[in-house]
This record gives sequence, structure tokens and C-alpha cells, in this order.
Amino acid sequence: MTELLPVLPLAVDLEAFASLGFWTGVGILAGTYTIFALGLQVNVGFTGIFNFGQAGFMAIGAYSMAILVTDADLSFWLAMPIAILITMAFGLLVGLPALRLRTDYLAIATIAAAEALRLFALNARDLTGGAQGIFGFDSEWDDASDAILNGLESLGWSNPETLFPLFLVVWAVAILLMFALTFLQKSAWGRVLRAVREDEDAARALGKNAFAYKLQSLAIAAALGAIAGFFLALNLRFIIPDEFLPIFTFLGYAVLILGGLGSYFGVAAGAIVFWTIFEGLRFLELPFDEVQIRALQFIVLGLVLILLMAFRPQGMFGKRQEMVLGD
Amino acid sequence: MTEGASRRVATTSPEPAGGAKGQPIFAAEGVVKRFGGIRAVDGATMSVGEGSITALIGPNGAGKTTFFNVITGFYRSDGGRATFRGKPVLGRPPYSIARLGMVRTFQITKALVGMPVIDNMMLAAPNQPGERLANVVFRPGATRRREREVREQALELLEVFNLTKLADDYAGTLSGGQRKLLELSRALMARPRFLLLDEPMAGINPTLGRRLLDHMQRLRAEEGVTFLFVEHDMEVVMNHSDRVVVMAEGRVIADGEPHHVRKDQAVIDAYLGATA
Repeated sequence: MTELLPVLPLAVDLEAFASLGFWTGVGILAGTYTIFALGLQVNVGFTGIFNFGQAGFMAIGAYSMAILVTDADLSFWLAMPIAILITMAFGLLVGLPALRLRTDYLAIATIAAAEALRLFALNARDLTGGAQGIFGFDSEWDDASDAILNGLESLGWSNPETLFPLFLVVWAVAILLMFALTFLQKSAWGRVLRAVREDEDAARALGKNAFAYKLQSLAIAAALGAIAGFFLALNLRFIIPDEFLPIFTFLGYAVLILGGLGSYFGVAAGAIVFWTIFEGLRFLELPFDEVQIRALQFIVLGLVLILLMAFRPQGMFGKRQEMVLGD
Repeated sequence: MTEGASRRVATTSPEPAGGAKGQPIFAAEGVVKRFGGIRAVDGATMSVGEGSITALIGPNGAGKTTFFNVITGFYRSDGGRATFRGKPVLGRPPYSIARLGMVRTFQITKALVGMPVIDNMMLAAPNQPGERLANVVFRPGATRRREREVREQALELLEVFNLTKLADDYAGTLSGGQRKLLELSRALMARPRFLLLDEPMAGINPTLGRRLLDHMQRLRAEEGVTFLFVEHDMEVVMNHSDRVVVMAEGRVIADGEPHHVRKDQAVIDAYLGATA
């Protein structure tokens, strides 16, 4: 390896890529974004509704959980299902008026709802801690994490990565959700969802309550956003409003497009590729400072998306036919 | 197939020519639809006899498609009443009207292009427990049984319409004529009692058109399905309907047997553009 380096135009330190710590970090982010973008897949890929407020659902989920644990002294494990229900209720609340809008207006309404929420979190200091955020909601998770670490050690792995348990759990949940959603998608319910995506009026003319299905779709996306929010919070160990900027929804769309519309497993592939590129750039020893690297991340991401659109517009796992067929 | 057979017995035997005289399955009274200042449908009144094949004709812009959209719930009406089997339909959402057994097709076909033909068909079947999320999870047995049943029915219907070999193709790969057939057979999957077809013959070749008309006759005879169809081809209208309703400028200007309507002065004026 070391002999190769001088011939490369830039001094690239590939050592980081050999470290488990790097891949654990990337893996957690990819797993979290898989769950996050699974929600977008349900909406965009299978129902044809353009939800641009996924970061808002993630925020509601994470904040509800954290507030329930820190303020209401609820168990972390009980706070999560309640937070999911709260987020779904919020999804329905947004959906009831917004889903009556056509695609582009729906996108605007959802992004506005998510932003309103983030600004609320920023300003409702008593409830959310404002810009300081919330800490100390994860002690019960730490116990569980330690138990998993002990288990790993007893299996013979001396000194395991401290974040490895989170990596395991996030992917276990992500894989479970992918299978569950794929199963649901193959049902008559999933067929109606796809029909709504293809032509809402045709679905209605055949006796399907398209609006009810769009609401269900949005509520499921909200639940997935909330779950992603839990993992985001556990990974950071705190939550602040800045973690829920609209850009995170857009990154979710990048994951979705990379993986391909209409495939739940594609989402995982998209998330892994996305975060490997995105985080990998930070660990290459490039002659740039941190701010420049940050810009470079988006330049490279943009380039990847452009190349993808040019050569494989359906993404890695999308079905080309479903995309190009039209009237 | 047992279900189909029992249905056949249950329905009163339709009289092919005298269908027009049967009890009205559908009646509209003074239906109004305005777009801004334009009265697209301006007090349309008509009825459709059970088991009849009724043609709805009229010059372009007469309000036929708008009338369809109003009575099937796609447009909100601005006045009037309409009943299907005695139940009011205006104000009901489209899906609810379809569930009553009053099913429509569209002038511009709405094939679900990104879905296979078989899925297009299976979608339309009524009473599918698997359409509810809770049933998919908690009643997998009932869901699977109904799914098998629906698939069988769909394949049978595709056979009838010579679409069997296209079952697994995306509907978007079908020709215009095939899409018309798909839309009709898909509407039949919904088990309609009253089928509203908006220009079913438009854009399809005469052989396919012929087959479509044969199917209409057969469905009426065998299952007592009632038809209301918008059509511009006068030969089709005169030879294949037992009643003709004529619309012009949003109103029904004539209503009767084909050969009577043909001689009606108001109808001739409407088509030739004479001022009343």
C-alpha cells in the first residue's frame, strides 16, 4: 500500500478506511438514513406523494422521546413507542390539509411544517432547551449498550468499538423494517398505494379511497422518521434544532435517488454508498481545510448524482420501466 | 365461477330490446355544473333503464364528459339530484359511488402504466381484506385466500379480452386499443351493476371495437349489467344501443329509441348548428 501512495496525485491516507471505527461511524449514519429514507420511499416511491418534511418528523420523534425521558421521567424504552405515536399523529395533522394539495404544493406545505417545527424547537426553550438542546436521555441505552459490549467481549472480541452496539441495533432495525415494508408492499394494500402513485383518479374510480391511503403512507413515513430520530439522538448523545434542517431531508432524497425509487432494499444501498462517499472525503488527507472539505462533500455528491442521472436514472435498484413508461 | 353463476340466477332476466322500459337504475334530475360563468351542465335530466345499453351523444362541448364527472363524484355538482338504485349519489366521493356498483371509465384511458396488467386488474376487485393494513398483518389467511380468488378472476377476464399473454407486462407497454380493453376489463373486475363508458370506441381499431361491443351485449345478457356510454360514431350508436340520450349545451334535448332520435328536429339542429 505504502509504495502505491506516491504515484497518486494527492497524498491519500487510506488507513482510515481500514479502521473499524470509521466503518462503525459510517454504518450508524447509513443505518439511520436508511430508516429515514425508507419513509421517503413509502411516500415518493410507492405513493407518489412528495414529502419534503421528513426532517420534521425526525425532529418530533427525537424531541418527544428526549422530553418524555428527561422531563416526564419516563423509561427510554416506553418513551420511544409513545414518541412514534406522537409523530404519527403529527403526520396525520399535517396530512389532513396538506394531502389535498397537488404534488408541488404538498412539497411546499410539508417543508414549511418541518421548518415551523424546527423554529419552534429553537425558541421554546423551556421545553426543548432551545439552541442548547437536550442531553441525558440515553442512560438506559448506555446500560443496554454496555451489555452488548460485554456480550461481544465474551464472544472473544477484546476491546470492541464503543459504538458497535449502536451499529448492530440500527442495522437490525433497518433490516427488519425493510423486510416488513417489502412484505406490506406486496399485499393488496401495497397495490392500492402504487395505484395512487400511478393515477389517483383511476384508483378512486375503482372504489379506492385514495386520500385515506395517502394519509396512511404519510403516517408510516412519520413513524420511520421518528425511529431514525431516536438513532440520530443516540449517536449524537444530544439533540439540537440544527440537526433537523431541511438539508437533511434533501440528503434523504439523495439517498433515495441513489438507491432507486420503488425498492426498499435500494434505500439501504443508497445510504451506504452516500455515507461512504460523504464521510470518506473527510478522512482522505486532502490539502483542504475543514470548510473546504465540507464544500467538497457536496461537490462530489452533486457530481455523483449528475452521473447517476446520465447513466442510470433509475438508481441502483430502481426499475427503469416504471420510470420511463408514461402516456 | 360459482359466484358468477349465482349472480346470473339472482338477476332478473333482462329483456334485450325492452331494456329501456325496465325500472330506471339511474336517474338524474336538473343536474348543474358551472365553471365560473359557464354552465357546462345546465339542468340535465335523464334516466337509464336497468339492463339497458344507453348511448349518450351530443356535439362537442355538450357537457357529456362533465355530466359523467359530476354523477361519478369527480366534480362537485352545483345543483340537481341523481340517484343510483334509489340512493343519492351527488355529494358522495368517487370511491364510494364506485363501491355502490356504478363504475366509470375515462375518455383518456387511465391505465396504471407503471404496474403490470395483472395488478391493474386485481386492484379493481371489491371486498379485498388485504387492502387494510391491519388485515395484512393480523389476518394473513383470509387475505391470501381472497388474493388467490381475485387473481383467478383477473386471469379469467384477461382471457376473455385476449390479454392473457400480456398479464405480466407493464400496462404502459400496451397499445392504445389494448389499454381501452384493459380499462373495460378492469372496470368489470369491480363487479359493476352500472357501467359508464366515456368514448370506449375512440382510438381503437374496428376489430377491437367490434369485440368490445360484443362484450357489452354479452355482459348485459348474461349478468344484467347496465351501460351508459358516450359515443360519436353514429353507426355504433344506432346499431348497438336500445336507447339514446342527446345532450346539447349542457341539457338533455332528446331521449328515446335510436330511430326516433335520429329524426328529432332538435337533435338535427344541435348537430348542424341551427339556432333554435
